[in-house]
Amino acid sequence: MAKKVLTVDDDPDISAFVKTVLEENGYNAVIAKNGETGLSMARKEKPELVILDVLMPKQSGIKMYRELKSDVALKNIPVIILSGIAKRTFLRSQEALTEFGDLPVPEPELYIEKPVEPDELAEAVKSLIGG
Amino acid sequence: MKNKKLLFVTQFEELWFDALQSLMDLRKAGFNHAVFLHVIQRDKVAMHRGKGYLKDEEIKLREIANVRFIDWAESLFEQGMEVGAYIVVGNPLPKIISTASEEDVDLIVTGSHKQGKFEELYGGSDTLDVLQRTSKPVLIYKYVLPSGAVNERPFERPLLAVDWSNASERAADHLLEYKNILKSVVVIHVASEKEFKGTSAMDVQSIRKENKMKMEKICESFERQGIQAESHLYIGDTGEQIEKAAREREATMIVAGTTGVSSLKERLLGGVATRLVKYTALPILLVPAGTVK
Repeated sequence: MAKKVLTVDDDPDISAFVKTVLEENGYNAVIAKNGETGLSMARKEKPELVILDVLMPKQSGIKMYRELKSDVALKNIPVIILSGIAKRTFLRSQEALTEFGDLPVPEPELYIEKPVEPDELAEAVKSLIGG
Repeated sequence: MKNKKLLFVTQFEELWFDALQSLMDLRKAGFNHAVFLHVIQRDKVAMHRGKGYLKDEEIKLREIANVRFIDWAESLFEQGMEVGAYIVVGNPLPKIISTASEEDVDLIVTGSHKQGKFEELYGGSDTLDVLQRTSKPVLIYKYVLPSGAVNERPFERPLLAVDWSNASERAADHLLEYKNILKSVVVIHVASEKEFKGTSAMDVQSIRKENKMKMEKICESFERQGIQAESHLYIGDTGEQIEKAAREREATMIVAGTTGVSSLKERLLGGVATRLVKYTALPILLVPAGTVK
């Protein structure tokens, strides 16, 4: 059975691109358009990997990542951050939230700044959950 | 403290990142989530004779806005803020209303959005139309002072204009929600000259006393929260006197309630809100009738 990958991105063009790359490489792609629906889909679909954007309406990837990694049932799902937001910013924002009293969370398994080539994305997914 | 959201509407004409940054004091009032909205006006990309829909132009405008928003978002994320962004094509007014509703924001921040010459005839500004169609408070943010400097603490000393309507009562209640960033508040009431016509000196003093007492009650509600407050009674044209009082009392912002008077009527009659939006150099926080606390 194909491994399930959840992609969370508000840009339909990016979601369609990622879905195509995933399906062409034998994965089952599910899509959410913001952190809020992303989190509920992660709970429902139990994916093997999450590909997550950062700047999105309703709930950002920063907040969704934090909630994902703080949830006992979800925290072991590997995450690829795929975003125009710099990795340094992502890490600093997580540090800032920790300083405000939230629990610390680990760094994401992979961080790719947009744009990404299809081969690079396919390789990244394969490196985390296999073919 | 409840986490609050502000909707920052920018057409990249009046409101830039320094405007947003100057509002970061609002975090002390619970605003930890900023949502950016840029509306690409439909006529910039709509069908043109012989060219069709300008898809390439839309992509270009979207990407320019996206690059700006990513840069702004990075700065806010690093400060521990939550950030979201919308870049949409359409007419600004309905897009502002729908985004404010979808995100359930607590405050809409917008520029004064002056329009073309035709609208100028009517003293118009589509910002006023937003007020007719939302129950959310709207901050018409003028952040550059006449000196050219940025108004870094707009909430430090607001002037609250009251007229004893339910709307102004709501405005006073709403202003109290910013208690953590208010230092002092100037409460004013503008009485019309007509109120004093043909009355005796005793009657005039009674009117003064009655208004002062009501204002002092409002002052007390701020003082109970540790915020200094003072009250002043002005007489004359409402818009003119509010502007004058703001200048004389060195206010950093004007706050008022707005009733549901139609935008067209407001424009044609040159109403107080229109006048303030058009002429004052200070930010204006307008709290519509029906604002949910």
